[in-house]
Order: sequence, then C-alpha cells, then structure tokens
Amino acid sequence: MRRQTKRKLYAVFRFTMLGLWFLIVAFPMYWIIATSFKPAHEWFAWPPVYWSRTPTLENYRIVWTGQASSSTTRETASLQKPWIALGNSLVISLTATTLSVAFGTLLAYGVSRYRLLSEARMFNLLMFRMIPPIVVAIPLTLYYSTLHLLDTVVGLVIVYTITTLPYAVWMTKSFVDEVPREMEQAAEILGASRWRTVWEVIFPLVRSGVLATFLFILILTWSEYLMALILSKTDVVTLPIQLSKFEGTTEGRVYGRQAALAVGITFPLIIVGCLIRKHLVRGFSFGMVKR
Amino acid sequence: MLVQQVILLPPSQGEGRCAPCADTVAPEGSLCTDLTWPSLDFMIERSAMSTTVGVRQQRRSGIALFKWTLLTPLFVLLLFLLPVFLLQLYFSVHAWTVYLTNWWEADFVGFETFRAVLTDPRFFWSFLRSFAFAGLSTLGCFLIGFGLALLMYRPFKGHGFFYACFILPMLTVPIVIAYTFEMLLYQKGPLNGILSMLLGTDINIMWLTNPTIAAFTVIGLEIWNWTPFAFILLLAGLAALPHELVEAAQSLGASRWRIFWEIQLPLLRPVIFLVLILRFLEAIGEFAKTWALLQGGPGSATETMPLYLYLTTWQFFRVSKGAAMSYTVMVVMVAVVLVAIRVLRREKHALDRMYHRAGEQP
Repeated sequence: MRRQTKRKLYAVFRFTMLGLWFLIVAFPMYWIIATSFKPAHEWFAWPPVYWSRTPTLENYRIVWTGQASSSTTRETASLQKPWIALGNSLVISLTATTLSVAFGTLLAYGVSRYRLLSEARMFNLLMFRMIPPIVVAIPLTLYYSTLHLLDTVVGLVIVYTITTLPYAVWMTKSFVDEVPREMEQAAEILGASRWRTVWEVIFPLVRSGVLATFLFILILTWSEYLMALILSKTDVVTLPIQLSKFEGTTEGRVYGRQAALAVGITFPLIIVGCLIRKHLVRGFSFGMVKR
Repeated sequence: MLVQQVILLPPSQGEGRCAPCADTVAPEGSLCTDLTWPSLDFMIERSAMSTTVGVRQQRRSGIALFKWTLLTPLFVLLLFLLPVFLLQLYFSVHAWTVYLTNWWEADFVGFETFRAVLTDPRFFWSFLRSFAFAGLSTLGCFLIGFGLALLMYRPFKGHGFFYACFILPMLTVPIVIAYTFEMLLYQKGPLNGILSMLLGTDINIMWLTNPTIAAFTVIGLEIWNWTPFAFILLLAGLAALPHELVEAAQSLGASRWRIFWEIQLPLLRPVIFLVLILRFLEAIGEFAKTWALLQGGPGSATETMPLYLYLTTWQFFRVSKGAAMSYTVMVVMVAVVLVAIRVLRREKHALDRMYHRAGEQP
C-alpha cells in the first residue's frame, strides 16, 4: 500500500518535471511558428499576442518570393534572392555531406579492417572538431583569397568536408565494426576483389548506417554559421546568412519575416533529426556508449 | 548478389576442423569448443604454402595499394589545409594591414604583435569570459540533462513523445535560436509578459540590455540549445548499464540513493566525462548564437574569445593582431584538447576493459 502511493507520487513528480522542461523547450518553438503567421501590428504588441486573431501567410509569401508589396527599400534589399540562398544551402550541404560521408566510410572501413589509423590517431582526428573553428578563420580567409576560393561554393564545401570528417569516420566505423569479418573472408575465398568486397558485401550491410550518418552530418552542415559568414560575401549566401541579413539591414525589426524564414530553415532539420533520432547517440558518442 | 551467395555457402570445408589446431581434423564427438569456419589466415597460409613467393608479394603490395587509396582523401585534405597554419604563423609575425595589396609585402615585426596581444587586457578578459561561459553552460547542460535522463531511463507511458520533444533544440539552427530568443526576451516581450501574468505584477527584466543579466542570458541560450546532447548521451548510458548489478544491490537491501552513488554513477563515468569534455570544448568556440543575439554587448559583457577575435579582424581590420591572437588561442586550445583526448582515451580503455571482462563471464 505504502509502496504504491510512493510509486504514484514519483509518477506525478516525474510528469511535473518533464512537463516543465517540455514547456521550456516547446514555448520558443511555438512562439516562432506563431510569429510567422502574425501581421505586422502584432509583432510588438503589449500585452504580447499569444495567438494571432488575424493569421496571415503574408510573411511566407514575402520571404520566399522576395517581393514586398509595401515595404521599405531597406527591407527589399535584404529580401533579394531567397531561392538562390536555398539553392546554395542545398548544393553546399549536400555536396559537403556526400564527400564527407564517402571519405569517412572508406576511412572507417580501413580503420576497422586494416588498422589504417591507430587508435591514438583516431582520437587525434577529433581535434578538427574540438579546436574552436575561429582560430583558423583568419589565415583561411587570406588563403582562400589567394586561391580565389573566397565567396565560392567549392570553398565552403571543402571547409565543411574537413570539419565534419571526424564525425563521419567515427560514426560509420561504429556501423562497420558491427559487420562480422566472416563476410569478407567468405567473399575473399569466393574470389572477390577488395573493392568488390567493399562495394557488394560491406556496403549493402551498412547502407542504413551510412544513410543515418549522412543525415546526421547534413544537420551539421546545414546549420553552420561562422564559416559561411567569414568565407562568403555576396555571391554565395547560405540560408543562415540570409536570415542574419534581415537583422543587419533592418535593425532586427521584422520579426514576422524572420520567423517565416527561420521556420523554413529549421523545419527540414527537425524532420531529418526525428528520422535518425535512434542514431544521434552514436553520432555524438565516439564509441563511448555501449549498447 | 554476392551477399546471398556468401550466406548460402555451406560451411562444408570447415566442418569438424577447429581454427587453432587447423591441420588436425577433430575426431567425431570430441570436445572442441571453437568449431568455426576456417579462418582467413589459415586459408592464406595454405594458399601461400602451395604457391610461389611471387604471388604472396603481389598480394602484399595489393593490400598496401588498397590501404593508400583509402587514405588518400584524408591526406589530400590535410595537405590542402597545411598552408593555412603556415600563413597564420606568417601573419602573426608580420604587420599586415588591408591597405597593402599583397600579403607578401608586409613588414617583419617579430614577436611585437604577440607582445601586444598578451598585454591586451581585453583579450585576457574575453578569454576568461569564454572559460566562464563554457564552464557554467556545461554544468547547466549536464545537471539538467542528467536529471531528465534519470527521470526517463526506465520506460513509462509517453517516453517516446518526451524524447522526441527534448531533442528538438539540438536540431534547431543556432542562428534561429538566437533570433527566436531575441523575440522572446526584449523588454516588452512575451517572456516578461508571461512572468507578469503569473506573478500579477509588472515584470521588466532587461534580459538583453543589463550587462550582468545578458551574460547569463547567453549562458541560458547555450544550455537550452545543448541540454539534449547531455540528455541523449546520459540516457543511453543509463539504459546500457547492466541490470544485474542494480538488482543485486536491491536484493541486498541497498537504498536507491546508495545504488545511484555507488553503482550507477561510477559505471557512467566514461559517458559523463565525454559529455563534459565535448560540451566544454564546443562551448568555448561558440560564436553563432552569441554574435547574432548581442554582438558582444551590452558593453563587453558577452564578448567571449571567438567574438573578440572576430571583432578585431573583421570590424577593426587588425588582421595581424587577429592572427597572433588566434595563434595564441590555438596553442592554448591544442594543449587543452590533448589533455581532453588523453582523458577520453583512458575512459574508453576502462570501458572496453569493463565490457571485455563482462563478456568473458558466462
């Protein structure tokens, strides 16, 4: 009897605490979605408008078509080329992610089967991730300007490939490690070449893992801000930079438009993240969490 | 498909033959525990014995070529990156300004810039601020994440829903977080509105304009953003702990508190170290949210090291100073990261040993 009440009390306590954190997490999310449907006069109203009585799609229309019906020139300046920014973001993050995962998978296979990199080197690979990226930003900018890579898609792709490679290697390695070696041994006995073994025996077995890695790295490259800010000026504008341009050119006073663009940027990531939520731990844990 | 062939291949050659004593066929019904397929080494040895030395060499060079092909992308990328570090050294010992057209025309000044950097109190404070920011936000992420993980590691109704919701902040683009919180936190904004409503008085907290509060606001943002990281890792760690130990302790009459302190916490140590180290190091380099929200202001209350570096180079255009500064930071950070990697490796080894031992016992 006492035990049951105790258990019930714990359930209530748990629900309260989780509910509290749920509110803290969900409220900003809710607010940005709500703001994206608000007309201009509700952005700064006091008391705040928690639920718009006159919801509108105007913000989305302006942000994604780049045409404002009755806005200032300053605002239109920042609204240029939204589709180009989307295209840039897609091209850059997809290319960089593909390269990173391809190189990472090959390396991971080599490490797993041929001890290509010692365990110490594998850990040192993490340095790319652990050293703050800002410390190489200055020489990188000057190096890029010498190579004429500044403000180009290729330049950003290279940087993103390098910075996400450690995650790609570690994550795919955890999948390759799970494939029994007997697979390759059997393939070799049957006379398959090494590349054929990789492509036709190992790859089909780790395909879902590679896909999870791909989506995981896509999240990282899609939301990157610092390098995109430093290495691009006008031609290559990614979505996060496009969003920050609103702030710069309009003194941050077009909340509805910002919110509409922000929802557009974040929505794909949330879908992708929920798809691979079982694999997120693997991506971040570097083999430190056994299952 | 080759895979199917492999799976369907009957293990006829290996039957009755054990790998360690491969040459002898085990007698019928004898106790040979290691009844496996013939190992690859065994096959190679056999083929090597029956063929010439040339084939063996061919095979070995084939492996070498294969290994180098796998390594090439990494080498190319590293080689591409190498000049960056050389350039960094070059710029930190030369006085270069944007007025000079070519970077190789800069004057050599030796360690003058380094001295200027090391005696710059603003740099010192920004560095300190970065460490304080990283330390506090790491602690916050860890405590909240651990609390949530402890509440959730045993299955209950609604587990999946809460899990999916709690990982959302981690998936949100940092810059979006910054702008969202700007909308929430301005003085006549919804957060003060809700607080006023709940408390019944007019609350006017200056989240973004009061220097002290702003510093904590930025830390709060980092905590909001990255608590999911601590949460998912600690939850996975807790769920992976062997049940037997906890059950054994329970049947011996240990209290929940004691089980937590003496069994769960020590076993979780590798994951805890991983969370703290990764979070701390990434928080030191945090730029996007702090910059987008406050640009280092008000005053210099949120001017962390990455922000000061950015300001020096891209706002004050003092490229050489920025380079010397980033070199200094890099040296410090490489030292910190090497220690961190050592700790991580030690923990990984401890973990592997633990699971290895556990695997040995039947």
